[in-house]
Amino acid sequence: MKKILIKNIKMVLVGAALIGFASACEVTDLVPANLIPDSEAFSTAPRIESAVLGVYESAQRGFYNDVVQRGYPFGAANVEQGDMRGEDMYNDQAFYEITYNNSYSPNSANNAGMWISLYRMINRLNIILGNLDVAVTNGVLTAEDANAYKGEMLFLRALAHHELLIHFARPYSDDVSSMGIPYRTFGIDDVTKVPDAEAVSRGTVGEDYAQLLLDLDAAEGFLPEGGAGRANKGAAIALKSRIKLHMEDWAGVLTEYNKLATKYAVTANPVAPFRGITSTDNIFSFINSATSNPGTNGALPAMYGNPDLGARGLVKISPIIWRADFWNAEDTRRTLLTTRSNLGIFTFKYTDATTFSDPNPILRFSEVVLNAAEANARLGGPNAAAAVTLLNSVRSRALPASVPAYTVAGADLLTAILNERRIEFLAEGRRWPDIHRLSGEGLMNGIPLKATSRSITSINFYTTSIAIPTDHSLAYSSNLFVWPIPLAELQANTTAPIEQNPGY
Amino acid sequence: MKKVLLTFAFAVLTLVSVLAQSKTITGRVTSAEEPEGVPGASVVVKGTTQGVITDLDGSYSIDVPADASTLVFSFVGYLTKEMPIGSNSIINVSMDVDVKTLNEVVVVGYGTQERREITGSVTSIDSKAIENLVTPSFESQLAGRAPGVSITTPSGILGAAPIIRIRGVNSLTAGAGPLIVIDGVPVVSSDRSAVNDSNPLANINPADIASFEVLKDGSASAIYGSRAANGVILITTKRGAEGKAKVSYNTSMGINTAVETFALLSGDEFVTIANEKRTNANQSPLANPGVNTDWQDLVFRQGFVQQHNLSISGGSAATKYFFSLGFTDQESAVRPNELSRYSFRANVDHSISKAIRIGTSMSYSYTEILGLNNGSNSLSGAIYNATRALPNVPIYDEANTAFDGYNVTANGATTGFGANLAGPDNNIPNIGFVIDNNIYRSRTHRIIGNAYGEVDIVTGLTARSQIGIDLTLADDFQSLDARHGDGRSSNGSVYMAANPAFLWNWQNTLNYQTVFAEDHSLNVTAGLEYQFAKYYGFSGSATDISDDYFRRNNLITGSYNNQFSTGSYRESGFDSYFGRFNYSFKGKYLASFTLRNDGISDLVGDNKRGTFFGGSVGWRVSDEAFFNSDLISDFKLRASYAEVGNTDIDSFAAFGGYAPVLGGAGAGIGYNRIANTGLQWETSKKLNLGLDMTIGKVTVSADYFSNDVDGLILAAPTAPSLGVPGNSINQNIGAMTNSGFELRVASNVINRGKFSWDTDFNITFIKNEVTNLISPITSTYNRTQVGNSIGELYGFRWAGVNPANGNPLYYSGEDIVQYNLQQSIGGVSQLNYRVYDPANPSDISVRATSGPTQEFLGRTLPKWQGGWSNSFSYGNFDAEIFTRFSGGNYIMNESLRGLLGQGFSNNHASILNRWTESGQVTDVPKLYSGQDQNMWQNSASNSRFVEKGDFVKIQNIVLGYTIPAAALESAFSGAISNARFFAQVQNPFIFTKYTGLDPEANSYSNQRQFGVDWNVAPIVRTYTLGLSVGF
Repeated sequence: MKKILIKNIKMVLVGAALIGFASACEVTDLVPANLIPDSEAFSTAPRIESAVLGVYESAQRGFYNDVVQRGYPFGAANVEQGDMRGEDMYNDQAFYEITYNNSYSPNSANNAGMWISLYRMINRLNIILGNLDVAVTNGVLTAEDANAYKGEMLFLRALAHHELLIHFARPYSDDVSSMGIPYRTFGIDDVTKVPDAEAVSRGTVGEDYAQLLLDLDAAEGFLPEGGAGRANKGAAIALKSRIKLHMEDWAGVLTEYNKLATKYAVTANPVAPFRGITSTDNIFSFINSATSNPGTNGALPAMYGNPDLGARGLVKISPIIWRADFWNAEDTRRTLLTTRSNLGIFTFKYTDATTFSDPNPILRFSEVVLNAAEANARLGGPNAAAAVTLLNSVRSRALPASVPAYTVAGADLLTAILNERRIEFLAEGRRWPDIHRLSGEGLMNGIPLKATSRSITSINFYTTSIAIPTDHSLAYSSNLFVWPIPLAELQANTTAPIEQNPGY
Repeated sequence: MKKVLLTFAFAVLTLVSVLAQSKTITGRVTSAEEPEGVPGASVVVKGTTQGVITDLDGSYSIDVPADASTLVFSFVGYLTKEMPIGSNSIINVSMDVDVKTLNEVVVVGYGTQERREITGSVTSIDSKAIENLVTPSFESQLAGRAPGVSITTPSGILGAAPIIRIRGVNSLTAGAGPLIVIDGVPVVSSDRSAVNDSNPLANINPADIASFEVLKDGSASAIYGSRAANGVILITTKRGAEGKAKVSYNTSMGINTAVETFALLSGDEFVTIANEKRTNANQSPLANPGVNTDWQDLVFRQGFVQQHNLSISGGSAATKYFFSLGFTDQESAVRPNELSRYSFRANVDHSISKAIRIGTSMSYSYTEILGLNNGSNSLSGAIYNATRALPNVPIYDEANTAFDGYNVTANGATTGFGANLAGPDNNIPNIGFVIDNNIYRSRTHRIIGNAYGEVDIVTGLTARSQIGIDLTLADDFQSLDARHGDGRSSNGSVYMAANPAFLWNWQNTLNYQTVFAEDHSLNVTAGLEYQFAKYYGFSGSATDISDDYFRRNNLITGSYNNQFSTGSYRESGFDSYFGRFNYSFKGKYLASFTLRNDGISDLVGDNKRGTFFGGSVGWRVSDEAFFNSDLISDFKLRASYAEVGNTDIDSFAAFGGYAPVLGGAGAGIGYNRIANTGLQWETSKKLNLGLDMTIGKVTVSADYFSNDVDGLILAAPTAPSLGVPGNSINQNIGAMTNSGFELRVASNVINRGKFSWDTDFNITFIKNEVTNLISPITSTYNRTQVGNSIGELYGFRWAGVNPANGNPLYYSGEDIVQYNLQQSIGGVSQLNYRVYDPANPSDISVRATSGPTQEFLGRTLPKWQGGWSNSFSYGNFDAEIFTRFSGGNYIMNESLRGLLGQGFSNNHASILNRWTESGQVTDVPKLYSGQDQNMWQNSASNSRFVEKGDFVKIQNIVLGYTIPAAALESAFSGAISNARFFAQVQNPFIFTKYTGLDPEANSYSNQRQFGVDWNVAPIVRTYTLGLSVGF
């Protein structure tokens, strides 16, 4: 009897222990600590602000070879790729060799990195655009705040799509009916939106440029004035002046210039726009910081800087422009904005080779000025004088008083303006967009000869008259003039893959 | 425990001898394993039913008829032995273990089972064969030991985790490694180091392990339900046995060396090649003659290895203990990689009363790994750098004291130029300086332990509760020198991190065993299990270090200008309810059924829970009356089917949303993953048909298996232009099958006098096929597509070198195109694809309309693999030769492609075969500076570099000598009871046609990116001498 009792007590105890603990163990109802659910992302105004900041992050730190690195698309890579496709910056290492000698393929990493990281940025901003009206309805945002964000997103959308257009499509100035790039206007944040997104085709360059202007006109209306660290009304206008230049809409370029002429100014000191983002010349820059930057394998100060100053120096200024006769020997941009070692001459626009915090200037007033100068020169006649004035406002500030201002208002004026762009925007990635549009209209025939990769082995190539070895030119007619669409794009779209550029 | 049970069993079956007696023989039965005596062994007069059972100390006394000539000694787990009686009155017998039936009691999930009752597919591996080998972690030595189990050591870096696959690759994007359970506790299998490869299984001292059980089919592993898709490895550590304390000490010492290194150009050859690349491209020569350096000499070394293990075990009838201490220090063949581990274990079992037992298993280990940067294309990556560095410049420059006497440019940017006009490509640093000064250190404290209590409630019914924990305290330290190498750009950096992981697991089981109506035995287990794990960590790092002095050991406050931090947190939970029902009729008809319901925190809503089941049946044909074979003594047929799941999916895989991102403009949130709340479990439908039989002295085990995996959780690729995070969405789209055949044959081949030879051979054939996918999954070298096996090599098909002009030829569809390596004509680039006409190879006039096209170039998964162990003993000498083989797969030799680069870097010696004159037939095109991309079609596989991966490796050769007991007795008067010396060579011979360093070298552990050898550190060969002593 007693034995049975003990046995029963034992069983009850074991059973109670099992049941008691079992009910206390709720281990499967967990939520991730690092993921805010879709349904809550736009539930407060600070979260919407955070999401907007996330777009800037994607612009500055995108994917290259499946890893966030190297400053794709706008942390640094737009500058590096834009320069390496041109002749004014010289590639001294294997890093940018494929771009420099035009040997990219649908598999190579640089063009794929640009494509992937630009569209990643675009989707982030489109998702926000799709949620702003809901946030207003829900009383989370005021209509005014929502509009400001809309403007910001539309500006960035245009900026990203234009970067795609200059690399992956033929120029507007050649044929508006040539193949464009898929222009994304809605966010994809749900499995059900995938088929519609896959159905978006490349369209035409003309359609894409029209959409760029639609986005920017809207952005201009929505955006407030503001500093260069965030999208602002001036930035939308400045980008329009650039895009209208590509479209050869000379009057349009002047319209945009006139909106900004009194708000910004070319700085007397050519260094100022590169030391912070607050000079009168800075319209829009992507900000890098010690904690968020393209890293040692991508940052402009690392890649472009002088090894004697702790940088890596994979890219130098090319002796082609350094020795060009149109660049005055006394130009202060030769001294203030460069440094030299016994291996060559390096840009000094970017200086922080330790924590890589240099901002990446995207739009400067100097560009708007030279855009306007070019537009005036193209219009000719009574506009030529204005072109000369505008050119000198950039050029003369970097020259001693002893050097006379530019005065000729003839056929050479356009050349002088284009050359001034090469000097003023050296190491800012602007050379390729110019080659792109000028080749399209026949003013250039593709990529000119460059200094031969890995051949500029000493400072003597800059300071003496020894011959500069040259190679790597590319005719406008070559299929390589536009980059191939990455293979992954064609393979992963199973319903309606877009068309590859011819020849790849 | 085992001994007691068996003694009891045999006591019941004691045969009573009533026959006439004419002689009494006494003696004692012992074995190497049980030197104090084998209790319960049967001693029978041959040809009669007359016999006795040995008592607790193994002694017996038997009366035999006068005409009896032979006594037969037998016992489960030992080879039957016959001894002539002759005129002896005392016959002492030492029995030999029957290796084929070793581990008669097999550990299965949540319990044990007798080997002969098992109807699933379970392979046991005794630790004896591997316990003295020098190895960073035990699992690499299991390779080839069990059919169906593939274990690949992907590189020679100590700390790199071997890749374990049981019966093939059973998931596409979820984990494909097995569940590892130590003494009943599932352990954390994630690498917690950010600076080194730090295999979590390297924290476990191999010498503490008693046995491994690999649960391969669905039925055996179904008790692990949702975690069973990739198989289960159960590890049982050593425990004490009743008896006086046994002390044993094992040690071995030796060296690790690289099996092979790369054949590179000498300095003089480099000058010729480098300048030819340049002049062919109309570029100025850069190289000038200098010295002849092989930079690999800096990186490779003979590393010293040693290990020491001391254990004490024993106990009383009520309390048993096992304690051990272990130490190992292993230097790899690659400087400065080194692994050292201190470990401690205490396993105690105690019976409070007949009905209540408690016990604990506790282990603590401290592992320190010194690693290095070995990134496949990192500028300071040891192998990359040493094979690219210019061979015509010296390593050292004694006058250059600023850089510790290394040859480095004054600004620290790169290696000194020597006589060359330029430095090496990408400014790679002097690897000697980097290895000497950069520190990559990871340390892990690991506590794995459990405590259990068991109560016998009524006869046959036992309740058991076990709580286990696995605590990993991992910390990292990485310090980079400011002067040169990776730390230069940040002016010195120090990174430290703590990355703990904590897992608890609580299991409660009720087990009921009974025999009814004599012939029916029943074993029922029911239980519930909860598991929770959290992974958390943070790091602090600093750059711009004020003085190198402060950089060497730790972050030192005030010594840096910039500081950074990171942090992360993740948790996962799991609960389940399960039952198992085993039934046996006379041991002849066997059946087992398992049911389990699991919940997992990574999925959402109703999809959190999944129900899994498994069943199996067995038929011991040899026990049937009709089965009457002298040759076949045991014959069992088995069949099983189960549906199991895979929980090793992305953390919170079904969740979507916005992750924190830090941009230059400020901290924000970025769209991180598209939610898919409909995401469900992956399920594997596993079928197994097998047989076990003993034919004379040969035991054979054969299994056919198939595994249909459905609803594969797939990060389904989306077109990059959609901009979806990660360019993928988690979906249950995909199906795959693995099917194959396993065979194991073991036998004692010779047992004559002092000489014996045992052999154990296994082979596995596996076929993998993807049967459904939303779209092909493509990565750089591989592509997974319906109808093919997972991760086949995909890329360009090489068509040779055009003998007329040295242009590389590739297939473009059915046609062949050539990349025209000619200089610009009149400023117009000629570097583009031209049509190739085999009839007129010198014709380059026609532009090709499209470039080379891609196709499948070979499967990366082996079709067959296996192992073959042969052990010999002669008197006091013993030897084992263990051979492994594998094949039917292809490897992309990316290392070689990289070494045929067209930049200003060193090359593989085979570049000397480059095309130089018209008519020359070769496989290396004309050299042309800067044209790697189109010459070699980089960033995809290329059939020029795809090679067969077949190999046969002599994995180990072990020679041992046991000092005769008499000699020990006289020398140490009993202080030392046994002693054995041994000499071992691990990885002594490889037979393969693969031209890279090792056919098992693998850059990626991801199953979709398999079969790529890209600057992997060579696998090591280890020579050791050792000693085992028992006190």
